[in-house]
Amino acid sequence: MLKTTLAGLRAHKLRLLLTSLAITLGVGFIAGTFVLTDTIEVGFRQKFTADAAKISVAVKPKDNPEAQEAPTIPADALERIRKVPGVADAQGLLQGPTPLLGRDGKAAGNIPTTAISVPTGTLNRVIVTSGDFPARPTDAILDENTAKTRRFAIGDTITVLDTKGARNDFTLVGLFDTGVNQNLAYTGAVGFTTDTAQRMTGAKGFGEVDVAGAEGSDPARLRDAVAAAIGADYEVKTGSQLADELAAQSNVETSYLTLMLLLFGLIAMFVAALVIYNTFNILVAQRTREMALLRCIGATRAQIFGSILLESVVVAILSSGLGLLLGLGLGAGAMAGLDLLDAPVPSGAAISLTPRTIILAVVIGLVVTVGAALLPARAATRVAPIAALRSQVEEQTFKAGLVRTILATLFLLAGTGVTIAGITMDGGGGDALIVIMAGGALFFLGVLILSPVIMRPLASFVGWLPRRLFGVPGSLAVDNARRNPKRAATTTLALTIGVTLMTLISVITATTRATINAQLDAQFPVDYMISEQRGPDSRIPRALAAALRQSPEVGSVIQMQRAEAQLEGSGTEKFQVGNFPASPDFRPQATTGSFDGFVPGTVALVDGTARSLGRKVGDTIQLKTEQAGTVTLKIAATFDRDSSDLAPITIPQAEFDRYFGALDDAAVYVNAKDGVAPDVARRAVEAIAQPYPTALVVSSTEIRSEFEDALDMMLMIFGGLLGLAILISVLGIANTLSLSVHERTHESALLRALGLTRPQLRRMLSVEALLLGLIGALIGITLGVVFGWSAMQTLPFDILFRAPADLILLFLVLSGLAGVLAALLPARRASRASIVDALAST
Amino acid sequence: MIRRAARPSVAAMTITTDVRHAVVAKGLTKIYGQGDAAVHALRGVDVSFATGAFTAIMGPSGSGKSTLMHCLAGLDTVTEGSVTVGDTEITRLSDKQLTLLRRERVGFVFQAFNLLPTLTAEQNIRLPLEIAGRQADQVLFDRVIDTVGLRDRLSHKPSELSGGQQQRVAVARALISKPQVIFADEPTGNLDSRSGTEVLAFLRHSVRELGQTIVMVTHDPGAASYADRVIFLRDGLMVSELIEPTPQTVLDTLLKLEA
Ligand SMILES: Nc1ncnc2c1ncn2[C@@H]1O[C@H](COP(=O)(O)OP(=O)(O)OP(=O)(O)O)[C@@H](O)[C@H]1O
Ligand SMILES: [Mg+2]
Repeated sequence: MLKTTLAGLRAHKLRLLLTSLAITLGVGFIAGTFVLTDTIEVGFRQKFTADAAKISVAVKPKDNPEAQEAPTIPADALERIRKVPGVADAQGLLQGPTPLLGRDGKAAGNIPTTAISVPTGTLNRVIVTSGDFPARPTDAILDENTAKTRRFAIGDTITVLDTKGARNDFTLVGLFDTGVNQNLAYTGAVGFTTDTAQRMTGAKGFGEVDVAGAEGSDPARLRDAVAAAIGADYEVKTGSQLADELAAQSNVETSYLTLMLLLFGLIAMFVAALVIYNTFNILVAQRTREMALLRCIGATRAQIFGSILLESVVVAILSSGLGLLLGLGLGAGAMAGLDLLDAPVPSGAAISLTPRTIILAVVIGLVVTVGAALLPARAATRVAPIAALRSQVEEQTFKAGLVRTILATLFLLAGTGVTIAGITMDGGGGDALIVIMAGGALFFLGVLILSPVIMRPLASFVGWLPRRLFGVPGSLAVDNARRNPKRAATTTLALTIGVTLMTLISVITATTRATINAQLDAQFPVDYMISEQRGPDSRIPRALAAALRQSPEVGSVIQMQRAEAQLEGSGTEKFQVGNFPASPDFRPQATTGSFDGFVPGTVALVDGTARSLGRKVGDTIQLKTEQAGTVTLKIAATFDRDSSDLAPITIPQAEFDRYFGALDDAAVYVNAKDGVAPDVARRAVEAIAQPYPTALVVSSTEIRSEFEDALDMMLMIFGGLLGLAILISVLGIANTLSLSVHERTHESALLRALGLTRPQLRRMLSVEALLLGLIGALIGITLGVVFGWSAMQTLPFDILFRAPADLILLFLVLSGLAGVLAALLPARRASRASIVDALAST
Repeated sequence: MIRRAARPSVAAMTITTDVRHAVVAKGLTKIYGQGDAAVHALRGVDVSFATGAFTAIMGPSGSGKSTLMHCLAGLDTVTEGSVTVGDTEITRLSDKQLTLLRRERVGFVFQAFNLLPTLTAEQNIRLPLEIAGRQADQVLFDRVIDTVGLRDRLSHKPSELSGGQQQRVAVARALISKPQVIFADEPTGNLDSRSGTEVLAFLRHSVRELGQTIVMVTHDPGAASYADRVIFLRDGLMVSELIEPTPQTVLDTLLKLEA
């Protein structure tokens, strides 16, 4: 029996390879994920270990959640550490936001550049790639990326704002690499000597103190000594402890990446399982006679079962092995790509292939392949020996059984029920989304079970046009697509999965886009927003708004201020208090109450604050102001936090100055005068803002396009990751088709003998594949739109539902094309086959 | 339609001196493979088939019967020699032209796998016309259906028909497009004697009543006796022929050949 199986496998190497490809791709993706993330983790560990080798002991302030500002290590503590016996050197590290001015005189980027202190001596961990370390107070170094994008070179003078906003000029003496520090890579970094960094950031102490032990000192003992010297407010660790901790932190981060990639890997594997299941089913069907013959000459059911399973095991091992190789390649490729993009991941680490990856790849490959082959193998044992004697292979007939109908109905009902429960769930949000996802999965299983029943009507429906367009080949193709609904169903549903998810994501992004745009229109009907680059705690001088009002290009200017205050009866908790100018241009939406009655003496609260205070519209709150004592305010309205930029406690603008004094602006909104061209207005606003280097001018279109870019990016990433599942399903179509073509060799020969030309035969097969692709896409699009809609219902605000017709149409067309593409090779082979040979073969 | 007078061959002369030929083969040679592995399936066969006649081809297994038929029908290429169907020399035709020739002028009945399983009997019968984009001659269709005796089975799928019925559907399909010649390779090979007889009677009927030309390969002397003429092949050569054969004369000739 073993010999028979192996002989069969050898005889069909190509078929074997094609079947394996689906699993190979899936396993390759999963293995690649592990190779990539393992390599990154190893790189991080190497980097941290190398850093830690320089450090005997590291001191950090203990976290204090109560404190207003992050705790630091004061200078005297550093001095005490330096005096501990056995300490060769101790250096304080600090960092803080210090805006770097670009060549245009405005602060570079949307977030301030981070200043870091560069210690001297062995404790330095900053890697200067060209030039020198900062030595004099007027020296500075920049990270390579910032230097490149801002076009600064060594020797240039750069201007950096200190914490008070004063300009400080430095000579750029070197460039450095931010390495694996994601935060620095994001903000950009400028390095100073420790003293200068302290002066520039205004830091009161250090974020960390690194200690180098004297020659031959024991880090653990030194740690204890340092801890004893500085007291209980600090965490003291050895260098290797620090490395472990940093590595663990970065592993948590990479594990998110792993999880997300694995999710897509699993989707791909599921699709691959469908493809394998289908392939084995077809193979069993085609070998009915062979199987029956074996049974005739005495093979037992168990032997038949075993031989099919053995075949699947061979396929699994082969494809897992190939998948592992592919995974190595993918991992290495992704690493190279990240390097090329200068992502903040450690480069240079050797590609890591751990035993875990190998075992997982083989186990997943085996489980999925053999699991998918179980049912077909069982079907093979049901072949009666008598089948060997039948002359013509019987058409597989399919009848919708009662069990199938009941099961499908159950799943569909459960899916619908769970989804509705998710939609109507209180509060919506992430939990509801997960419930809906579960509902979607259940519903999909229902569709999967039911699909053979709906395949025929769908094929007739979708085939209506091809039947008329393509004449005889067209109608033969429609018949072929209908003839084996089970096979067609599994083939198309593999594609459906990809299309469903793509549609889902495009519906979600389109809806988000439309909804947010509408919100922006409603809540920010302004042309420009001016905010502080250094964040919400910094202020824009009121002079800017005043200057804007003088400009002939500017129509209206809205100033918003912020302050912090306590409420009577709410302890020491501080609330953000903001104001809101009474302006017809700017009218947020109230959840309860109305902004019509938003007059002096009233207040508007964010829903959450109102809830936590236990107040509603009509109630009062007592606000402790700085200049007017405690004032009693009546709640006029509550509003949704996400729907506007207002502070949790918002009072009318007229009152603000009286309560808190003439504070500078937190944000300034500007509308251009009607009829002024956008570029003219923009130039005018920017010219007025020029003296304020950290006043960021953004137009509403910029906000929009930034946000649209982010959505497009997400769509692209998801599309790319789902591409694999889609590719596998297309392979599945090609595989099914080529097996069907093989099975129908006689039929094709007969048709050719009866006068069907080669192109007609090819067209017949292409149309069949086209139908499969279109059916798969139609089901997927329907599911995707429905569940996309459901998912959007979990959002806590009103949405503008959008199904992007252009994208969806594109998916339909691409699916059809993918089908036709999948048919290319099988069709070519079928049309090339010699009629005589085909008729002769049995 | 068929203007070309055939070269007077022994077979033709014995029936009538001015006979028209549906298919004529001259010096037909077919070699499979090359060098040492070369198989001479046909070694220069000269044969013609009269229009409106029912001819059987017989010979031992491997004598080249199927090969001859495939070459005559344009299904296979010939190594040397010429084949003329009607007035068309077919050995130089392109694949496309050959396809059109088969579509318009040649009918087939095979030993098995004659019908498309997805189509009903009627759809199978009309298939060649559909492919050619021609309208069925309704009178002919009715006549063929009645002759085949399948009127109550027209809407059945092949899997619901017996082997004999399937073959009769195949014959009906071959007849419906009024081809110049029908080639049948062991059409009764898979049938029991009763179904075989049905099909053979029907074939002869269509020659007599519809004036159809039929060339049939068979191993069965009984089947051959339905034909007007039997030609015998051995080792790729035509070695003998019989006019107005009976099972006994066919058997005698076969025995002589094998001796
Ligand atoms: N494709 C091929 N390649 C090589 N040799 C072939 C091929 N087809 C047929 N032959 C050889 O050509 C010779 C004639 O074959 P053919 O099929 O015509 O015989 P036949 O008379 O139809 O036999 P049977 O009665 O068994 O059907 C045989 O020796 C056969 O082995
Ligand atoms: Mg033969």
